[in-house]
Amino acid sequence: MSQIEQKIIRKAARGDRAAFRELVLEHSHAMFRLAWRLSGDETAAEDIVQEAFIKAWRKIGEFRMDASFKSWLHRITVNTAMDYLRKHVRRKQFEIREPEWETTDRAAQLPDTGTQIDISRQTQVAMMDLSEAERTALLLKHYEGHSINEVARIMEITTGACKQNIFRAVKKMRIALRPLVAT
Amino acid sequence: MKIITDEDLTLLYYGEHDDPALAVTVAESEELSARYDALCAELKLADAYQPPQRGDDYGAEVWQRISSQLGEEDTKSTGRLGKWFASLVQPRFSLAGALSIALVAVLAFMLGRNGGQEIINDPTVPAGVVPMAMADIDSSRLLTHSVSTHLEQVNLVLTQFVNTAETSASETEYATDMLVANRLYRQAAISQGNHKLAAFLADLEPLLIELAYQAQSGSPATRERMQQEVKDGLLFRVRVMNKQLNKPEVSV
Repeated sequence: MSQIEQKIIRKAARGDRAAFRELVLEHSHAMFRLAWRLSGDETAAEDIVQEAFIKAWRKIGEFRMDASFKSWLHRITVNTAMDYLRKHVRRKQFEIREPEWETTDRAAQLPDTGTQIDISRQTQVAMMDLSEAERTALLLKHYEGHSINEVARIMEITTGACKQNIFRAVKKMRIALRPLVAT
Repeated sequence: MKIITDEDLTLLYYGEHDDPALAVTVAESEELSARYDALCAELKLADAYQPPQRGDDYGAEVWQRISSQLGEEDTKSTGRLGKWFASLVQPRFSLAGALSIALVAVLAFMLGRNGGQEIINDPTVPAGVVPMAMADIDSSRLLTHSVSTHLEQVNLVLTQFVNTAETSASETEYATDMLVANRLYRQAAISQGNHKLAAFLADLEPLLIELAYQAQSGSPATRERMQQEVKDGLLFRVRVMNKQLNKPEVSV
């Protein structure tokens, strides 16, 4: 974390709204990406981002400067997303999907190779089939580039549990995506 | 020889394997290389999972949506020292202000009843003592200033109220203080004939009563309803009234 960012965070922690605005401008896009991947829904992601920033404003006085601000924000975003998803119907965006689909049966129903849109959609479906913990761990590792130790801290679980979540998620994703690999 | 599992290959893919020699081992084995290449190809597909793009001004949009919901006092430290400090700086001065305005209200009432200027000519008053002091009291301006301060505190507490999910003891304590202050200010406004201000303060009272007495024991649904009421207009009215009070030469 740069000295400038530390200075901005300190000012925000003293109640400086202009400083907090800088942090919002800086981190909004990244938080939206994470929130969208967690929820799979655009509107939900926007709600989660806003709620997460409001929580961050309330808690920024508790932030420790020796920690990563990005990881701290991600932890708030993940917790906010989990709360949001528990409150709302989580799979609303997949209502059109055939209910009898099973992960192992998908290969037969998919083309040998897909367009970018097919792949993206299939990845999204596979992602939403993961458990909350598996999905969160994989997103933070694969897309956000956190180390396993950081992911464990964000999720407030042990490193071992974090690894197991990632392994299970990778295994399930590979099964779902294998039919789309060009041969 | 140690068996290389898919978990090992996953850790290698993410650059997190403890054994730095694993990459060489995999490269030297045809079977391991094939397994590793398959893993890479399958996980690479996951990169297609990209969120919809937001515009460059997305951060500004987010700020615009949340800024009105950020209470000024929310960021204070919540440690023990922080709570002690917060208790000192939270709006606790309503009651003191209310007591002083109550004194003004009594004076204003007496002035109104005695006709102000007539006091100056009262033969029972010793020359050069009371008349000047009474004449110097601009009770209207003092009331306006005091109510403005009161509304600033109401604004702070209501902002905090709409942004917190649970009732705290301090919240009800502030609401009680403000309720007492609000009633005194309303009486003062009535005494001065400022009926518009008195009516506005009267409108505030039911919510302050609920905040002071019902929010703590009420259900989450009650709290949500009250928060909605505040969001729907009361907070806005408090701010507008406070602005009007702060405008020079504008009587409310």
